[in-house]
Amino acid sequence: MNTLYLRRRMTNWIALGLSVFATLIGLGFLAWILWETLRQGISALDLKLFTKITAYGADGGLANAMVGSLIINFIGIAIATPIGVLAGTWLAEYANRTKLGETIRFLNDILLSAPSIVMGLFVYTIVVLPSTALTNGNTTFSGFAGGVALALIALPVIVRTTDEMLRLVPSTLREAALSLGVPQWKLTLQILIRAARSGIITGVLLALARISGETAPLLFTAFGNNFMVFSPMSKMASLPQIIYQYANDPGDAMHALAWAGAFVVTMFVLLLSLASRLVLSRNKVSHD
Amino acid sequence: MTESAAAGLHPQPAAGPEAVAPTKIQVNDLHFYYNGFHALKGISMAIPEKKVTAIIGPSGCGKSTLLRIFNRIYAIYPKLEARGEVILDGENVLAPGYSMNRLRSKVGMVFQKPVPFPMTIFENVAYGIRHHEKLSRADMEVRVEKALRDAALWDEVKDKLKQNALGLSGGQQQRLCIARAIALRPEVLLLDEPTSALDPIATGRIEQLVEELKSQFTIVIVTHNMQQAARCSDLTAFMYMGELIEFDGTEKIFTKPSKKQTEDYITGRFG
Repeated sequence: MNTLYLRRRMTNWIALGLSVFATLIGLGFLAWILWETLRQGISALDLKLFTKITAYGADGGLANAMVGSLIINFIGIAIATPIGVLAGTWLAEYANRTKLGETIRFLNDILLSAPSIVMGLFVYTIVVLPSTALTNGNTTFSGFAGGVALALIALPVIVRTTDEMLRLVPSTLREAALSLGVPQWKLTLQILIRAARSGIITGVLLALARISGETAPLLFTAFGNNFMVFSPMSKMASLPQIIYQYANDPGDAMHALAWAGAFVVTMFVLLLSLASRLVLSRNKVSHD
Repeated sequence: MTESAAAGLHPQPAAGPEAVAPTKIQVNDLHFYYNGFHALKGISMAIPEKKVTAIIGPSGCGKSTLLRIFNRIYAIYPKLEARGEVILDGENVLAPGYSMNRLRSKVGMVFQKPVPFPMTIFENVAYGIRHHEKLSRADMEVRVEKALRDAALWDEVKDKLKQNALGLSGGQQQRLCIARAIALRPEVLLLDEPTSALDPIATGRIEQLVEELKSQFTIVIVTHNMQQAARCSDLTAFMYMGELIEFDGTEKIFTKPSKKQTEDYITGRFG
């Protein structure tokens, strides 16, 4: 065995070792987070966590917060998805390589990294304050306002993934359709969106994962509520907001509830990420 | 380019059927600019009807560019400009008023890499037809079957028409793309290096198909494979650096070309 070969093998082992080490660090922290939330919250992880509301305090559960989170997230995604997919499609198919398109893409990237508390304050001024004035104070903070704030956070994520996924579709596919005389709008709707479908769905799922953990934008919008409500026009609790509130409470039982809530949110986000992976990989198989 | 020089580039086959074939596409003093770069410099040529015309030349000589002007597919990208005339059946397709829909139903195109649409095999062929014609279900089935038969693909896919086209092999996908193009019953079929991504067996099938299809269509094929041009074309155009150097009967181009540059390329001295 010559020395050159030996050296290359050594380099290979070292590089492999370092990358495995780096992966373990990343995975280690994930496992640690999951383990810690589970360990701290295990005492509160029982049936009443899912059936009782926060009005009972330490003896209660988080049912209303879970329902609230589902409703607020649903409103957020329902607003952000159509706008985001349309905007992303426009960027990729109609404004690609134009000055206006590049500018909007850049502004979208800024929106993507905007602090979430800013979104909360913004929605407070454009939704909460006007609705208070319009209804003489009957409606102030609301689940709907929370949904709008989350939509503003989800929107740039969806715009960006839609834009990127469409731009990944090879231009030859566009040429092939246009060479058949198919107009641009049909090409976009019937072929390109279909080709990029799984990527776009992944983007929506990732946006949902992103907003599920947001606390700050909900403080000034959905506010919180100790009772179970289903109307989006009333003040509404959400898991992250309850976690924040309970974590600030001196009681140990409250801390356990907060940990349990954190575990539920983390698992939810983890499952969403796994689901988005699954959507992507299933599509890859059908492409081969 | 002067009139006489342009005329000299028209095919002058010694004898045979080429001599009487009417012109399908007449190109007059065609120039093309990529973002200011002068890519085609005064091309003039007459492409005869129901013949196979091959365009050969080294990479970057403008052969694909020329082909992509014939159906104006270049126009989907910004900053590209064609000047001159491309007369198809007496009308200049480069004229601003010429309907894109009409042009693309008359001139079909098959690309270098097979690009099936992300839908079933049946839908891939039916998709284009549906845009141009309203057909009953039964008529559509007949039309799709005919196109797949003409593309020599029917026997391989007749039992899996409802399956995703992306599951076909590369050669099958390319024949599906040919079926998709001929299903519109175009008059001209443009093939842009249609076999460069295929293995020799699939290539052979496509070449055989070209031979069979020329009774129905005027075919223009761009290829970097000189043997392919020699095997399956009636006329061959040799291009170099954006200019049409020589255009003549394939046999003449490959046996006794009249230009030194053509001879050098054919014999492998450059390119």
